[in-house]
This record gives sequence, C-alpha cells and structure tokens, in this order.
Amino acid sequence: MKKQLLICFVFLLFAIQVNAQDKTVTGTVTSKSDGLPLPGVTIRVKGAKQGGLTNASGKFSLSVPQGATAVDISYIGYVMQSVSIPASNVINVSLAEDSQQLDAVVVTALGISRKKNELPFAAQELKAEDITRTRDINLVNSLGGKVAGLDIKRSNAMGGSTNVVIRGAKSISGNNQALFVIDGVPVSNASANTANQQTGRAGYDYGNAASDINPDDVASMTVLKGAAATALYGSRAANGVIIITTKKGAKNSTNITVNSGVTFGKIDKSTFPTYQKEYGQGYSTPATDGVGNPVPTAGFWYRDVFGQGKVMTPQFSSDASYGPKFDPSLLIYQWSSLDPYSPNYQKATPWVAAANGPETFYQTAVTSNQSISIDGGGEKGTFKIGYTRNDEKGVLPNSKITKNLFNFGGSYEVAKNLTVSASANYSKIDGLGRYGTGYSGLNPNQGFRQWWNVGADIAELEEAYNRYQKNVSWNWGDATGTKPIYADNPYFNRYQNVANDTRDHFFGNTAATYKVNDWFNVVGRVSYDGTSDLQEERIAIGSTALPSYARTNGTFAETNFDLLLNFDKNITKDISFKGLLGSNLRRSRLTNINAKTNGGLVVPGLYSLSNSVSPIEAPVELYERRAVDGYFASTTFGYKDLVFLDATIRRDQSTTLPTDKNTFWYPSVAGSFVFSNVLKDLKWLSYGKVRLNYAEVGNDAPPLSVFDTYTKPTAFGSIPMFSISDTKNNNLLKPERTKSIEAGLETAFMNSRFGFDVTLYKTNTIDQITAVPVTTATGYLKLYVNAGEVQNKGVEVSAFLIPVKTRDFSWTMNLNWSRNKSKVLSLYSGVSNVELNALSLSGGVTYNAAVGEPYGVIRGTNFVYNNGQKVVNASGYYAATPSSAEIIGDPNADWMGGIGNTFKYKSVALNFLVDIRKGGDLWSLDQWYGQGTGLYPNTAGTNDLGNPVRNSLATGGGIVLPGVLADGTPNTKRIDVSSSGSSAYGYPNNPPRASTIYDAGYVKLREVSLTYTLPQKFVSKLRAFKGIDVSLLGRNLWIIHKNVPFADPEDGLGSGNVQGYQSGSYPAVRTVGFNVKLRL
Amino acid sequence: MKKLYTILVAAVFLSSCAKNLDEYNVDQKKATVVPAATLFTAAQKSFADVMTSPSVNTNVFRFYVQQWTTTEYLDEPRYNLTARPLPQAFWSAIYKDVLSDLTESKRIINADPLINADVKANELAQIGVMEVLAWSTLVNTFGNIPYSEAMNITNVQPKYDDAATIYSDLLVRLDAALAGFKTTSTGFGTADLLYSSNIASWIKFGNSLKLRLGLILADKDAAKAKTVVEAAATKVFTSAADNARFPYTLSPPNNNPISTNANKGLTTRTDYIAASTLVDKMNALSDPRRAGFFTQVGGSYIGGYVGFTNSYANFSTMAARISAYDFEALLLDYPETEFALAEASARGFAVPGTAEQHYKNAVTASIVYWGGTTAQADVYLARPDVAYTTASTNYKESIGVQKWIALYNRGYESWTEWRRLDFPKLSPPSAATAPAGQTVPAGLSIPVRLIYPINEQTLNGAARAAAAAAIGGDLVTTKLFWDVN
Repeated sequence: MKKQLLICFVFLLFAIQVNAQDKTVTGTVTSKSDGLPLPGVTIRVKGAKQGGLTNASGKFSLSVPQGATAVDISYIGYVMQSVSIPASNVINVSLAEDSQQLDAVVVTALGISRKKNELPFAAQELKAEDITRTRDINLVNSLGGKVAGLDIKRSNAMGGSTNVVIRGAKSISGNNQALFVIDGVPVSNASANTANQQTGRAGYDYGNAASDINPDDVASMTVLKGAAATALYGSRAANGVIIITTKKGAKNSTNITVNSGVTFGKIDKSTFPTYQKEYGQGYSTPATDGVGNPVPTAGFWYRDVFGQGKVMTPQFSSDASYGPKFDPSLLIYQWSSLDPYSPNYQKATPWVAAANGPETFYQTAVTSNQSISIDGGGEKGTFKIGYTRNDEKGVLPNSKITKNLFNFGGSYEVAKNLTVSASANYSKIDGLGRYGTGYSGLNPNQGFRQWWNVGADIAELEEAYNRYQKNVSWNWGDATGTKPIYADNPYFNRYQNVANDTRDHFFGNTAATYKVNDWFNVVGRVSYDGTSDLQEERIAIGSTALPSYARTNGTFAETNFDLLLNFDKNITKDISFKGLLGSNLRRSRLTNINAKTNGGLVVPGLYSLSNSVSPIEAPVELYERRAVDGYFASTTFGYKDLVFLDATIRRDQSTTLPTDKNTFWYPSVAGSFVFSNVLKDLKWLSYGKVRLNYAEVGNDAPPLSVFDTYTKPTAFGSIPMFSISDTKNNNLLKPERTKSIEAGLETAFMNSRFGFDVTLYKTNTIDQITAVPVTTATGYLKLYVNAGEVQNKGVEVSAFLIPVKTRDFSWTMNLNWSRNKSKVLSLYSGVSNVELNALSLSGGVTYNAAVGEPYGVIRGTNFVYNNGQKVVNASGYYAATPSSAEIIGDPNADWMGGIGNTFKYKSVALNFLVDIRKGGDLWSLDQWYGQGTGLYPNTAGTNDLGNPVRNSLATGGGIVLPGVLADGTPNTKRIDVSSSGSSAYGYPNNPPRASTIYDAGYVKLREVSLTYTLPQKFVSKLRAFKGIDVSLLGRNLWIIHKNVPFADPEDGLGSGNVQGYQSGSYPAVRTVGFNVKLRL
Repeated sequence: MKKLYTILVAAVFLSSCAKNLDEYNVDQKKATVVPAATLFTAAQKSFADVMTSPSVNTNVFRFYVQQWTTTEYLDEPRYNLTARPLPQAFWSAIYKDVLSDLTESKRIINADPLINADVKANELAQIGVMEVLAWSTLVNTFGNIPYSEAMNITNVQPKYDDAATIYSDLLVRLDAALAGFKTTSTGFGTADLLYSSNIASWIKFGNSLKLRLGLILADKDAAKAKTVVEAAATKVFTSAADNARFPYTLSPPNNNPISTNANKGLTTRTDYIAASTLVDKMNALSDPRRAGFFTQVGGSYIGGYVGFTNSYANFSTMAARISAYDFEALLLDYPETEFALAEASARGFAVPGTAEQHYKNAVTASIVYWGGTTAQADVYLARPDVAYTTASTNYKESIGVQKWIALYNRGYESWTEWRRLDFPKLSPPSAATAPAGQTVPAGLSIPVRLIYPINEQTLNGAARAAAAAAIGGDLVTTKLFWDVN
C-alpha cells in the first residue's frame, strides 16, 4: 500500500497542467477583516461548470468562455459574492466573513458535508485555529471547555490518556469513550491500559491512539453528540463521534507551512502538597525502644549502629512524619549517615525539616514542536504532505516522548467522472520513562502525597543517587542501611526502574468516487487503522519491589470496506432530495502477548525474559477478532430551505453475538424547521431553527463473551491446572440498544451579533451487555447478561456574542454550558449495584452503577449524623457507619461550561478560555493516607488551647472534634493526636471514608494566546513568505478556584469508567511557550 | 477505472460475510474442554493458598490469635474488616477458586461414561472430602452461608442456609465420601498434590477431618459429637507422615504465599513480627519450639505489641524456614488430631487411649515437627505448667493453650479452636496493653466471626439481610451456633 501511495504521489506532482481556453479572468481575493489573501477560494463562472481556485497568494487566473458575464466567488466561512466580469477581466474582491457560519458546511457522519442550517441534530464544529491555538501536544486535550456536552478529563501524566465522554456514560461496564473518525478512518479512544492501571494499582498510562495525530494537520473537528447524528456509523458510535477532517490541498496552488514552537512547563504548586514542617520521621514517639530501654529523646532509635556506642537515629523504617519534633540543636544520625559514600557518613546532622521538599523533584518540562506541511495541486489533482516532530520532556526526571508523524494525502481526477484519493498517516511514538501511576512505588507521588518523611531532602537524595547510582533512601529497613524498606530513592526509581514503549501507528484510506451523473455518484473506500505496540517495564535489582522485566507486544488492525451510493436531486423546484445507500464491512483483530520474569532477576542491568530467577510463566496471549457487516440507507428531503426531514436505517450483523441473534436493525428520524425563513420581517432575527430527532443504535457484545473457556494457572511442576473462568459467558446474548430523543433550537440575532443553540436530550441504553458481578456463592465473579438501563438527560447550550465589532477591533465570546444527569434505572434481576472498578481499589471505596443513582457513585463508610451534626463516638473520634455501602460521593459534574474570548485589534489577536466544572466529587487516597502519616498541615500546628496539637494531653495537646455524641450532646472529649495511631485524620482510626471526599469542581484559565500576524506589507518585502504569525501561548496558567486541597481536581486514573479517584495524583503543569508559523 | 473498481469489489468480497465467521467467537487461546483432574489440582492449590497466606488482604487470623502482629499498619491487628475487602477475598477464594473448580471437576467426571468405576468412585470421594473441608471452613467463618442454592449460576440470589443444618449435611456428605473410597484402586493420581491419590491416606484424612468437625459440635450437641467422633477416632492420622501437607515449590507462583509476603528474595516488606502474647507464653514455658518458630533479637525471643506500631528490628519474626519458598502448608496434621483425641477422651467420649497420652503425643509430635527432639519434649512435658495433669484443672485450658502453640502459623485453625475452647485468654489491644507513647481507641474486640462480604449487600441483599437477622446480626461479635460459651 505504501508503494502504491508513493507512485500516486509522484504521478500527481508531475501531472499538473493547465488547459488554455477562450479568455482569461484574473484577480485577487482577500479577506475583508484583515486584508490577507485567501487561498483556495472557489471561482466559478455563473451558470457554468468551469471553475478554479485561488492560490496561496489569493490570486486566481481562470479561463472562461467569451460569453461569460459573471463569476461566483465562494469560500467556506465567508459570504458568497457574485461579481460581474469587467472589461479589464481583472477582479479584486474582498470577502466578508460569515461571522457565525450558519450556512457553513459541516462534515457529518461518513464524511458527508452538509450545510449547518440543514442539520436536524446537534453538531458542534471546531476550526483548526480553535484547536491549535495553544499547541497542546495532545489533540484530544485541546477540546476541553470548547464543546457543550463534551466531558474531557485529561491526565497530568506525560502522554497520558484523556477520558472523552459525550453526554454522560451510557454503558455500565463497557467502553464509554467517544469514537474518533479521522478522514473516514475510525480510531478508537478506548484505553489499552491494564486493569491494574485503571484501578489505581501499579502501571503506566500509555495514552490512547486518538492522540496520534498532528494538530497542525487538522482542518476541522466536528462533534456529533447524539444518536441521530451518528446512526450511520453503526453500533460503536453510540457514545458519540468526533470527526476529524484533515487539511486538503487546493487545486492550482502550492503552500508551504512551517511551524516551530517550544513550550515550557512547570508544576502548579497549588496542585501539590504543602507539608507540615514541625515533625520528622516516625509513626509515633515512643519513650523507650522496643525492648523497654529508655531513649534520650523520645521517638528515636537508640542503638549501637557504628560499633562506637549507642547513637540516636530516626525510625528509619517509618514512612511517615509523626515522629519527634524538629529541633536544629538536636544532632541525629540520619539516613545519609549510613551511606558510606556520603560526606555525612557516620555523622550526626541537625534534626530539621528538608530544605528542598518534593516539589523540587519536578523539573521544567520542555516540548518542542516542528512541522512542515506542503499542500497544493494542479488542474486535476491535489496533494498534501507533512512531517511533524514533537519532543516532549516531562516534569519528572528521565522522561520523554518523541513523536514522528508523517502524513500524505492526494486526490486526482483520473477521468472526467472519476476521482481517486488516498491518505496515509504514519506515526511513531517513542516513550521513555513514562510516569508510574496509582498506588505504586513507581509513582513518586505515592511517597510525596501518602508516605513521606518531611525531613527527606530531595537535593540530598539526588546527590546520594548520583554518587554511585545506588538505591540510597531515607527509608532504610533497619539501622544497617543495606536496603530500603518501602520507599526507593526517587531518583533511583526514575533512572533505574524505567519503562519504555514504542507505538507504530498507520492509518489511511484509498477511495474512488465515480460520478455517474450530476445527481448520482458512487464512492468506494478501503480504510485501515493499525497499531503495533511494544511496552517494556523494568524493576531494577536493588529496588524495594521485586526486580522484574515485563514486555507486552500488541497489535490492533481494523479494515473497513465502504461502498456508498449518493443521490442528490431536486424532485421539484422546492423539494430537494438526498439519498444514501451504503454498506460497511468491518474486520478487526487484536493480538497481545505479555510475558514477564518470575521470582526476580539474576544479573543486574540485564532486562530480558531469560534473566529470570525462576522459569518464566507462560506468556498471556490475547487474540480477539470482530467482523461486522452493516447495510444502511438514509434520505433527506428539504422543502424550500425551510423544512428538512432525515431518516436512516441500518442493519448490522456482528460476529460477537450468538449466531442466531447477531442481526439487528435500528432507525433514526429527524426533522428541522428554519423558522427564520418565514419570519423575514423580523429584522432582529437573523436566524432561527428548531430541530427534533429520535434515534436508536444497536450494539454488539465484546468479543469472546459467548462461549465459556477455562483459565490456566501455571502448572504445578509437571502437574497441569485449569480453573473455571471468573466470568460466566452467555450464549443467549442479544444486541443492546440505545434510544435517544433530542430537541434543539438554534438562533442568531441582530445581524448575527448574538446567538445561541440549545439542545435537550434524553438517552436510554437498554438491554446492556454487561458482565454483572454476582455473588461468588454462584461459583463465578461475573456473568454476562443483557440487563440494565442507564438514562442520561441533559441540556446543552452554546452561544456566541460579539460585543464589539469595528474595522480594527473585535471582541467575540463563545460560551458553552451543559448539564447531564445520569441515572441507573435498572440492573440485573435482584442486583442493585455493579462495581465499576474491575479490581478492588485501595482505601476501601468502590465506584458503582447503583439502581436509582447517577452512574459512577462512590460508596464507602459515611459519617453518622444526628440532626445534621457529625456524631463522635465514645473514644472521641468520628463515628463511621457500619456499612461501607453508603453512597458518599457522585463524581458527575453538576454542570460544565466554557467561556472563550477573542479580542482582535488589527493583526493582534488575544484569546483566552476559562473552563468551568461545577461540582462532582472525588475521593482522595492521597489525603486518606497522607493525613494519617502526618504530612499535611492540619495534622500539626496548635490547638484551641494554643498548644501544639501533637503534645500529649497532659501537656495541653490534643483536639476536640466538632460534633455531638450519639445522644445529641456536644462532644467535649479531647483526644490525643500525638501519633499516627491516634490521629483523628486519615486512615489510622478508620474514620468515615467520607472524610476524604472533596468537591472536584474548578474554574481554570485553560488557554491564553496572543498572536501577532506580521503586516502583509512587511511580509511581502520578505519575498519568500506569504505570512508570518508569531504567538505567545499559555495553558493551565491559573486555577482560579478549586476545593480539593493540594491536588488538581481534574487528575484521576486516566481514561476508563472509574472517575473521581485520586491516588498518587500528578500535579497540573502550567505551560507557556511561543510559536512561529511561516507560510511560504 | 474499471480495474480499480474490480479491485475494490474484489477486496470487499474476499473477506467473507460476518454471517459465516462463527469461529470469530471462539477463543483461540483458551481451552474449552479440560481434564477433570486439572481442576481438582487447582482447587487444592487455591485452598492451600487462602489458608496459608499471611496477606492482610486475604488471611488475618494469625493476628486474631496473637501469634503474629504487624509493624506499621494496624488495620488488621485492630480487627478492621472494611479497610480492605478481606471477608470478600476469603469468601470468594473458597467459593470461586475452590468449590467452583471442585464442582466442575465433579461434573466432568460424572459426564464421562468411560472412566473405570473404581477410579471414578475414588475421584468423586476425593472431591467429596475436599468439598467438606472447604464448606466447613466457610461455615466456621461466617455462620449461615449460601449452600443448598449455591454453585448455580442460574440462581444469582441464592438463599443462605442455616449453619447447623449445613453442618449436619456436611457430615452426611463426608460419610458418603468415606464410604466411596476403593482402596484397591487409584483416583486422580499425581494430580492429587496432597497424597498422590494414596487412598488409604485419604481415608485417614477424611476421618481426621470428621474428628475435627465432630468436636466443633461438642459444646452445642454433645450426643451427635460423640457419635461422630467415636466413629472416626480409630481411623485418623497416626503419625506426622499422615499429615495433609501441601508441597509448595521453589518456583513462583507455586511457592508458599508466606514467602511472597515475607521472604527477602521476593519482597523488602517487613510487616510481620511475632506477637508478645505467644512469645511471652513460650518464654515462660521455655518452649523448645521457639527456635523453629521465631528469630532471635540479641539472643532473646521478643514479641511485639499486639495492635501497636513496632519497630521491625526490635522484635522476633518468623523463623527462616517458615518464609522459605518451599515451606509446606499443613491443612490438617497429626498433632491436631492427637489434641482432638485428647479432648474427646477428656469429654468422656469412647475413644482409644487416655487424654494425657494423646496430649503427650500431640505436644511431642509438634515439637519434633518444629525441629525439636523427643528428649526435649519429655523435659517440656514434665514441667508442671505443661504436664496435662497439672497445667490446668480445665482440659479446655491445658489443651487450648498447647493447641494454640502447636497450631502456630495456622492462624485459621487456631482461631477456630480458640473460639471453641475459649483458651488461651486473649485480650484485644487496649489502653492497658499499649506501650508508652501509643494509644488505641477503646472498645475493640477480637472477632469471633467474619462479617459477610460487603458486596453481598448489593448483589444478594435480601438473602444476606435475612441471614444477618437469623444469626443475630452481621457482626464480628456474633457467635456462631457452635460457639456457645
């Protein structure tokens, strides 16, 4: 295929030619707003078929018949003009922007372009500039805050996955991610991360493949939110579709765009812990050592460490900060005194808080982005070719991702009625030192946020590591200093326990369009999306964790064969008709093999499967195939640009369902009424449309959920074992179904200075194919069934406002707001709850689909209340409900909104976007453990009596928790909080889990950019250039408001169905940078 | 153009229609048919794993009987059962990993008309004994449990049966299994990791189990206990060679789960130390098993504070043998059986031998198992605070204390015996037991059962609620039906 494309490309380059004709009209087309030339503008002889395009300088030269009198000049996003051909045959025109592009063309399902005013369903489009403005290396992240109803949760881990959910989660346990379609090639956003990673255990977030696209290559993105818009994509589009259309070359032009930018990122300290700095290492401050001998200062070990008599050391093995009070006059043999290579060896040093806290572990991230794209075309063909290189160095030491993206696209008119086209995209992503996530020593934040010694100095740890690359840690297992117990030196971790990964991703298509006549054409298209992944993970000898090497090789390939018959004919003058008959054959195959060493590594530094201490276990193999045949038809009738009616029907046959139930049909109907066209007298009303639609989408089952299989544990020596699978499959499954109804109103007023679009929707997903958990008394953990119904209801509003618009200055606001309410209406018979976390989560909380509740609610123990007051138990601690099945949080936002502002003054444009999320809860394991280990300021300081809270009760310490006793009388019991074991905060005394639930709402200044387009008169002197844009940009600059202490409310476990859980959360990264874009 | 079309059309039709791709749904990498013996092996291993593991996520009974305690993390020695879904893990391990594989193994055997009848009888009897072992463990942990309607995926809301009723049925099943053994034939062969299908050993194992179960009933239904115990007493283990031992190997994942959690070769964690309750008692008795049980600190055996933070280096921990990769796990052993016979005799049941002799046999066998000599055992047994006749006037105390020591590292069985015999006297962590500088919330009590798994509330809510009401509340303090004192 690649060879074929190359031949095609070469052919295109040399095949460009111009035919001479009768007379030649020339001219220049510029934009009215900024005077810049407009390339790619269509110039068409009025009433004839001849036409051409402007080149990159906005110039055109068109041969027209001698008798031609006028030309139509049209361009997407601008008001079309008809201009008479003057005697000079020179036409210079400046086109006015159609401010809100109500007549603009929107790319909808299957790449079909439709006028926005005809659409009977909600579709929101973003232009290239909206996406690339602040140059987020992950295209998907650029959508945040810009589209109503689109819930984007990014990961703060370098290259991490982004959770993209449109109009709420619909599937109880399946994939809820939106589908991405790039130039007709479906690319899944489903997470390929392990179940361990997705449930906050050890793992790495390898990102999702939808981000493997060069943002500079994107022409537009359309978000199709509802089922009516996506029905033509079939079952997998039930979660909405994001259509990405890449740039195309224009005929008779050549453009070269060179883009160069660099950004710098630093962690946002408001999303990182502030530590108490009063008390050092330890869980408590015993006055004696373990065997009853008194210690000179309580809370230290007192041992003969160096054979020179007893000395005081910290309680090395304690990964907590509930130890002795800092005192610079106290000289203690600290962790570095056990390191023979340290200048502190066998030396006591002052007992003080670290001068360089964990925030200094983070470095400045640097991302450079270089791209070049060339596009153009001749009379018969167009092409584009591009290359992008991104180098991203993360905020953690020894982390980087390199992306090389190549893309090519071209089209050629082989014959009068036949156009062929092809596109090819190849990307190679190389990751090194991706961040460990979740509850794992590979994630430095497990230490920094949960189990830390505030006396550990990061600079000292770095020096200690750098001396001999040994795992010299503040957390020795004992006083011999031979091995750390829980926490590795974070530098050892980053430089020795390194993961690396490579993803080769190819996607593209070849297509042919045959125009049978002017109302009927046939399109055939073959598209392919294939990824090949290699992931290697290492734990070095010397680590606290068991040394290991694991590798995963995986491939995914999907091929789609599409055949589309398009009809476009006006039945009468007033009634238009568009029809579509099509078929889609889809074949996909996933393979995966994962192998790891067993029982440790033999030779240090050798990372191969053969370097295993014990023989390795059989690798885990996966092989999943899916074939879906779809046939569909769609019709659109229009009456006088006033009323439009759409109807679609699709039949799918999928191999993942039992053979006798694998065929399913689903319809959609939709209508719109452009009422402004009958209210033309109302001058203030520029535009008005109502729309209404109903759609159903069927869905098949996950592969391999019909027939039962056995799992195979590793043989016991030569005795083989098999075991019943955890999940009982089901050969009676039938398709699941999503039903949605949507109504909308689109308006614009006052010459389109102001307008809004409101959509109401309701989606019910029924007969869900779900592996429901069942009591294990059945002998299984889960059972595949058709069961359950999830409902999502919501409102989406998008609005624009142009408060000021003069020749030189304009201010445009784009607003969006959405509210989605999900509710689980039913589950499997008698089952009232389904845990969404595939594996249990640390901390004893669960994320659930519970009947009658919003999707994803958090369960755990709650406070006990008496008349609204928290009840305190007899010991003086908050009482917890006996049941841990209490609902203590709902991760779904109350509403989300975005406010985008663009100010333009002559050639300077200032943009900023404020992204708002109201409500939604998260549960913080970081606070649960970190407060219990005495890291945070609330565990130290002074009490209501003015004494240090960590003093003993006898010396005036302790606290009285606000609340009441069970009988309603105020609590007056003062509790000792001098040690972790008696702490009133965090895990130790098992307080209600609700104590570390936080409101995850935020207001963020998400994007700021300042772009200066060099004046044309200056640029034109630099003969090589057509335009130069220089921009300064910033992302995530300011969290204006949040409620979660010391963390970014947005950060979670990456993409997946468990949202609103923080464990070892990464801080947000503030990014600033600059970018230069040259057009040649 | 036509050529292109032809290619396109051909490409479309080259791939078959989805309709004809049935094999797409068949997993190419997993078995759909397996030998019955492989499931039996897996069930044995899963049972040994859950009973042996010291993981705080799976098995915390060593803390409950104060053989071990933890260094830093106090949830489990303080009896918290919601910090981690421990009851769920224990319940699932037995239902899902043990009983389901046994049930499936049985189904395959019964469906196979070609197996030799005697072999088939032995295999079914082997499964029968393992099933009774697994079910009795569940009953003795939770009380009422899903039983008659369990192991049936078409009923996802099985009712909970009365514990005493289940117990009676288990004894019937055990008798049926014992009656089914054909000593002239074999069973699962080497797939049986306990006895390589030595049927005579299986009969002893089954009867020793019967003896154990009979005594558990003794305080509740002495008459029935007497019948059961007397029927089994002559056919039980007669030496350590009969022990039901699970032979862990050097190679993970078939290594002893203790090593996974505590061996320096597999983890740096140092969570577990010996508890002062056991160590102090053994020090007082100059118990010769200490070297087999514990490490020394500065030449002494020192136990940590139960339920408080302890510095690892200051205390004794398990001896190296216990955390060895290939340390065997005991599911039922000879000393345990001798203690049972001693108790049966003390209760006046008609069993051969005297209580004192069985007691001596038990203690001696335990000392020998843990690396001591019979001479040491004789010295030990001669101590007035150990000798059966003088250690206590109450057989429950003398046997209870010694059985508690002998059941070291077998937290679950030790916990059951403690609940049953009410000795040794154990105290939960409290202000009175706190070391200087540490505190503990008041009101802890040592669980006498595990609460039902949390997810039963939402997966089988009505049945669980009914069971909770029937047993007197789903609490750790609710005594099981046989725990009458």
